[in-house]
Amino acid sequence: MTLAGALAGGFVGTLVLTTGLRLAQVAGLTRMDIPLLLGTAFSERISRASAIGYALHFLNGQIFAVGYWAIFRAVGEAGWLFGGVLGVVHAAFAGGALVNILLPAVHPRMGSRWTDASETPVLEPPGFMLWNYGPHTALVTLAAHIAYGAIVGGFAAGL
Amino acid sequence: MRERGYARIADYAAIGDGRTAALVARDGSIDWLCLPDFDSPSVFAAILDADRGGAFRLHPVEPFEADRRYVEGSNVLETTFRTASGALRVQDAMTLIPPGRLAPMREVVRKVACLDGACEVEWAVEPRFGFGRDDGRVAVRDGRVAFTHSKIRLTLSVWGADAASSGRARLTAGESLLFSLASAYHQPALLPGQRDTEERLEHTIRFWREWSARATYDGPWRDAVLRSALALKQLCFAPSGAIVAAPSSSLPERIGGSRNWDYRFSWLRDASYTLEALLNLGYADEADAFFWWFMHASRRTQPRMAALYRIDGGDGPRERELDLAGYKGSRPVRVGNAAQTQLQLDVYGSVFNSIWLHARRHGRLGAQTGRSTAKVADHVAECWDRPDSGIWEVRSEPKHYVHSKAMCWAALDRACRLADADLLPDRAHRWRSAADAVRDWVETHGWDDELGAYVRAPGAGEVDASILTLPLVDYGGNDERMLSTVNAVRSRLAAGPLLYRYVGEDGVPGEEGAFTTCSFWLVDALARLGRVDEAATLMDDLVPLANDVGLFAEELDPSTGEHLGNFPQGLVHLALINAAFSIQHAGAEA
Repeated sequence: MTLAGALAGGFVGTLVLTTGLRLAQVAGLTRMDIPLLLGTAFSERISRASAIGYALHFLNGQIFAVGYWAIFRAVGEAGWLFGGVLGVVHAAFAGGALVNILLPAVHPRMGSRWTDASETPVLEPPGFMLWNYGPHTALVTLAAHIAYGAIVGGFAAGL
Repeated sequence: MRERGYARIADYAAIGDGRTAALVARDGSIDWLCLPDFDSPSVFAAILDADRGGAFRLHPVEPFEADRRYVEGSNVLETTFRTASGALRVQDAMTLIPPGRLAPMREVVRKVACLDGACEVEWAVEPRFGFGRDDGRVAVRDGRVAFTHSKIRLTLSVWGADAASSGRARLTAGESLLFSLASAYHQPALLPGQRDTEERLEHTIRFWREWSARATYDGPWRDAVLRSALALKQLCFAPSGAIVAAPSSSLPERIGGSRNWDYRFSWLRDASYTLEALLNLGYADEADAFFWWFMHASRRTQPRMAALYRIDGGDGPRERELDLAGYKGSRPVRVGNAAQTQLQLDVYGSVFNSIWLHARRHGRLGAQTGRSTAKVADHVAECWDRPDSGIWEVRSEPKHYVHSKAMCWAALDRACRLADADLLPDRAHRWRSAADAVRDWVETHGWDDELGAYVRAPGAGEVDASILTLPLVDYGGNDERMLSTVNAVRSRLAAGPLLYRYVGEDGVPGEEGAFTTCSFWLVDALARLGRVDEAATLMDDLVPLANDVGLFAEELDPSTGEHLGNFPQGLVHLALINAAFSIQHAGAEA
């Protein structure tokens, strides 16, 4: 198992995750748009925000791949299946805390449950398990992260 | 003051924090509050069931007379109770959180001060959770009263008297009492201190004053416009930018009737009026927040636009009936709204006019938004000739409503303007051709020579006050026809300065009051059609019909002046603001 494999898997995994989420968005399953959510923290121009958001999302994909690799090393095992299991945990963390609580806490243009009349954010908060972006969002997110984890696990084991 | 335990709708005032709002009666009772958000279940709903709904009562023990106002430029209510032995002033607010301070998630603060003589004050906090279904658990801990139900914890703190869910205290001039009803949802309760609570009340008054001072209107109806702006801001759901139609549910359009609907959602029909009002007033941030909220909220349904969305951006909830007695026996009490499933073509006109207003201000729209907007315009070009439920969300069979068609024309026209400005992919040729077809349809089928008016629907033989909005979206019809329609609407639907929406059937039994918004639309239309003096006179007649604190319910009973329907209603206040600006603009052009 190698770090280079995990990083390569992180890139391919993010590609698959991002494409999957985008397809789900186009299909009307979810309103979640991760590049937009990330990018609007830095720019209020939608096109520029999306470009920044894609770059950040791929960077995050690499950071998480390093995290996955550290777990694989600690456990002494890597593979598609174990990576997929970590993907479930990753999705739960993303929906329950990362995007739901941490992102609104640092995002200058996103509301939270605590936002009151004295503020005017332009992005609605995701809600628990991203429910506000559509009732199927949690399932789509879960599937996308399982795919990401499996790819990182597979690449880390195989390279 | 109360009849069968119910205050008049006009006797309420709203206090809100941009997440939810409470309705406070003239006699000091908070009879409506949903927590944590506008569209959550209620903790106080005595307005819909005087016996089982729950309330926070606070008033002098002796017989009293009450006089009230909002603290100038704010949404903090100030009620002065005068008794034979003295006078009390109560300030009611839903507090805002000072930047960087730890504070309760939602909080109602009630500050009681004895102004004169001596008064005994009595209070009772009786929450009933889940629309009157459950008392929850009550416990006194650390000198505070805790009410707990499922995920909600309410904490009542009292300073100046013993903490108890009900009690009495005698105050003499200069003495005061302070109540904080703080709520936590899914989280540990925050226990506020007296000084912090008073600071939050002061911060709240300061914020509202600074906010309202930024309003740009300076015409003859400044007080009414400012109050409307403040009412509108209270209806903004700050976490997402959505704006609820009203904070209440099921206040009846006729006492004892069944026209009782839940308005705690955001209607896209109001989008254009909202952006116009907020931009005219100089509140660009709120306009942008609302614009991006509805563009995001509708993304899952585009190119179809639903009539309404939840304030968190989700689909509107299923309509159901609650086991509550109803305001003065007006049943059923409904939550959720079935209009979400209706086809309402007028929505597209409102949405495209909003996009046009937004794009004109910013000079850009964004490539992705432009592409999705163009798909919506394509959808309008395909679906404009379908029957729909119309702006009034009638529950009878869909029809070809003339107003809906004209709003489709507005949608296609704005799409062409956006394409001409290079803000949309250029399919203007297709949209212009569809717009021309819609206009031909309206002028051919929507005009009735006998009535001398655009009609509600072809063959209906009746007028509809919604047609008054056509000049508001620059409908490219014939001004002579529009002037004639205005006259026909006034002669057939007016009751004094008020207007009914229509007189035909709509699939719901019973009657209703006059629809206050329509009167302000009439003012607006008159001003835009050049009859400015007439518009100003009508405006002078309408503005005093607000209740004593300047708020309007959805409807007014022309014979008694009673306010009817949900309260306060955003659309009425939007129409008031826009009418005032139209008179000002028309006067400036004249």
